[in-house]
Amino acid sequence: MSIQEKTASSGFELTRRDWGYLGHFRAMASPCELLMATEDEHLAREMMCIAVFEAIRIEQKFSRFIEGNPLWKINHAAGTPSLIDNETASLLQFARQCHQLSDGRFDISAGPLMKLWRFDGSEIPDLADIERARALVNFSKVSFDEHQVQFPDGMSLDFGGIAKEYGVDRVAYLLAEKWSAISVLVNFGGDIACPVSKGAGNAPWQVGIENPQRLDSASALLEIRQGALATSGDTRRFIEKNGQRFGHIIDPRTGYPVVKAPRSVTVLAPNSVTAGMLATMAMLEGEQAEIFLSEQEVEFKCFR
Amino acid sequence: MQLKNRSNISKALAIASCSLLGHSAQASANTEKPDDWKVDAAIMYYGEEDRVQAVEAIGNVQKAFGDESLLDMKLVVDSLTGASASGAVAQSETQTFTRPSGNGQYETASGETPLDDTFHDTRVQASANWAETLSPVWKTNVGVNGSKEFDYFSLGLNGGVERSFNKDNTTLALSGAYTFDAIDPVGGRPVAFSSMALRADYDTEEEYRAAFDMTRMAGSEDKKTMDMMLSVTQVLSRRWLFQANYGLSSVSGYMTDPYKILSQVDDTGTTQSYLYENRPDSRLKHSFYMMTKGALDAGVIDFSYRYTTDDWDLNSHTLETHYRYYFSGRFYGQVHLRYYQQQAANFYRPFLMAGDPLPEYASADYRIGDMTTYTLGLKFGQRLSGGHEMSYRLEYYQQNPENSGFDLVGQLQDHDLFPEVKAIIAQVSYSF
Amino acid sequence: MNRTIISIAIAVSLSACSSLGVEPWEKDQLARADMALDSEKLDLALDDHIYFSKEGSSGGRSLAGGGCGCN
Repeated sequence: MSIQEKTASSGFELTRRDWGYLGHFRAMASPCELLMATEDEHLAREMMCIAVFEAIRIEQKFSRFIEGNPLWKINHAAGTPSLIDNETASLLQFARQCHQLSDGRFDISAGPLMKLWRFDGSEIPDLADIERARALVNFSKVSFDEHQVQFPDGMSLDFGGIAKEYGVDRVAYLLAEKWSAISVLVNFGGDIACPVSKGAGNAPWQVGIENPQRLDSASALLEIRQGALATSGDTRRFIEKNGQRFGHIIDPRTGYPVVKAPRSVTVLAPNSVTAGMLATMAMLEGEQAEIFLSEQEVEFKCFR
Repeated sequence: MQLKNRSNISKALAIASCSLLGHSAQASANTEKPDDWKVDAAIMYYGEEDRVQAVEAIGNVQKAFGDESLLDMKLVVDSLTGASASGAVAQSETQTFTRPSGNGQYETASGETPLDDTFHDTRVQASANWAETLSPVWKTNVGVNGSKEFDYFSLGLNGGVERSFNKDNTTLALSGAYTFDAIDPVGGRPVAFSSMALRADYDTEEEYRAAFDMTRMAGSEDKKTMDMMLSVTQVLSRRWLFQANYGLSSVSGYMTDPYKILSQVDDTGTTQSYLYENRPDSRLKHSFYMMTKGALDAGVIDFSYRYTTDDWDLNSHTLETHYRYYFSGRFYGQVHLRYYQQQAANFYRPFLMAGDPLPEYASADYRIGDMTTYTLGLKFGQRLSGGHEMSYRLEYYQQNPENSGFDLVGQLQDHDLFPEVKAIIAQVSYSF
Repeated sequence: MNRTIISIAIAVSLSACSSLGVEPWEKDQLARADMALDSEKLDLALDDHIYFSKEGSSGGRSLAGGGCGCN
């Protein structure tokens, strides 16, 4: 999507519901929604403006599809240090912690591998290409501090695995900071956060989780008053070859999509980045997904 | 693949996420709300070769009140010593001059430019400015400032209004100021074109005193200035912006420099007497200023041009540029270049001819003569932890006065009547 | 006269200005602290004072704040 198309989609739609307002816009290649428990249309509009601005800001900064943006510059530094701001440094720090906690399965430097596996119905990449790409994937070679980041020429960073959840949390926290008594549910394509409780006296937010077999119709209905939800799955992005479906989570240690991964994993956690990371790590566990999540003592649902 | 203590992962992630989200809540540049005090301080040394030396210290404090109001306060203290050109011309003989107070005199050696070293003065200036955002498109500001030195007092008021258009890409600003200055020169203000009383010309102290007092007027003088400026700021692109200003200034009152004189010479270029200068009592000035500033990946660059013109016929052109380069995220170097050229005021003359009728106004102050100046500066800045910044600046400033077409008679041809003035500027700043 | 020409030029460039500019979320570079027009305000104030004292003209960038006995 070109930058012109992106700016055209900066508007939003607002619809009145009996529980409040529903706002809808498109960002980060996903349908984005805000469910706002307020009667005040003016306020709902203000919230939407903040949400749209922040979502687009994050997308413009961290999308790997926009030529010339901060991430593009970091990825084209050819081995030289790049200046970064506090936000980028914090995300890198988080990515490093996730890399360690997942024993190296979660690796944002897996960009070269991601590029190989284009989930648009094309062929499986060659073994030689995969080996070459794998050689460029190693987050421990990325060195950074508060002000700059540097990694060997040929490597590249991809924030796709955290940017959407980060965006959800940022929008949710920005709105909660400003309106700490109004419950808002932020939903960016299935990554959900609701920091301000809907309140014991009200009906909880109702969120539908997709059935991978029958897309676009909710299968399980989750009721949530407060917290965050993330779903990781192959339902919409996959390659099918010889009857075998390859999900879109690549294991950087093998270079191939994870085998025997569940079709989808949904996790409940205090915030979206935690929920999203747990869901991703569960997928990376493949067969062990359910066991892993039980050990984490979080609420979850897996579809196989 | 060794199994870790797995239940720690979700707790560790929750902690990591708090530090990511808690930290970044303040980090995003676009949503920063500066509620703290912001302090900038600097100390500067200005030194001309063999002439004036000054030290100036500035402290500036800013406090934001919510998103809409900003208080800005500044205190400046500067101290001046050394000598500056009095306007008299060099001679092949030693010259003696009377000090502005009338008490005592000073001498200039043969061939030297006469410099009056009487000036030892300290000035204190304070200002306060309040800026208020009235609406998403209207902003306003109001301020007051005052300064005091031994022989000078100034009080001013300023105000302005700003309107932004076009999604904040274009801003129009109109501002005005009124300043009142009172001058009470040392020894009293000199009578225009009166001849400097020299002790050597009189037999007794009383006679000299009487003659000196004849060249003086009691009481203070004042000067009123009205300033207006119209400014347009325009975002050109993601990285470039542009500003154009038009300024109008009307000054009325005492603008003569009470300490400057002109030499009155005969056909051989030999000084017959020294006359106190006289400048018009009004001045209408126009200024046209344009600048552009660009955000580079590892630096910043700006270019500006200013043209001024007034009813003293003093026109000037200024070209200036700054180029900053970041060597790392914390350290930068910056180059500053400035070129200035001015055309003499219509009453400027380096000396007067005895025997010619006196003009209505005259001044030999090289600072309103034909002149070209050059500045070359280097600055280094360091970003320290906690958002503090320290910087050091060293500049070289050279003024080249020029003869705007006067015939140098007799011995004046043997002397450099338009000497260069070379100065060094050194400054250290700290902000937090 | 010269002044009329210049004020017309400013008015024309103002109307042309309506097509120039960027979207609010594209102001990341311009929002940098070092891109503010008064980002080095102390340096600019000190410079203004020096040039006001040593040269025959002043102002242009902003209204001069505070008089002194020098020019």
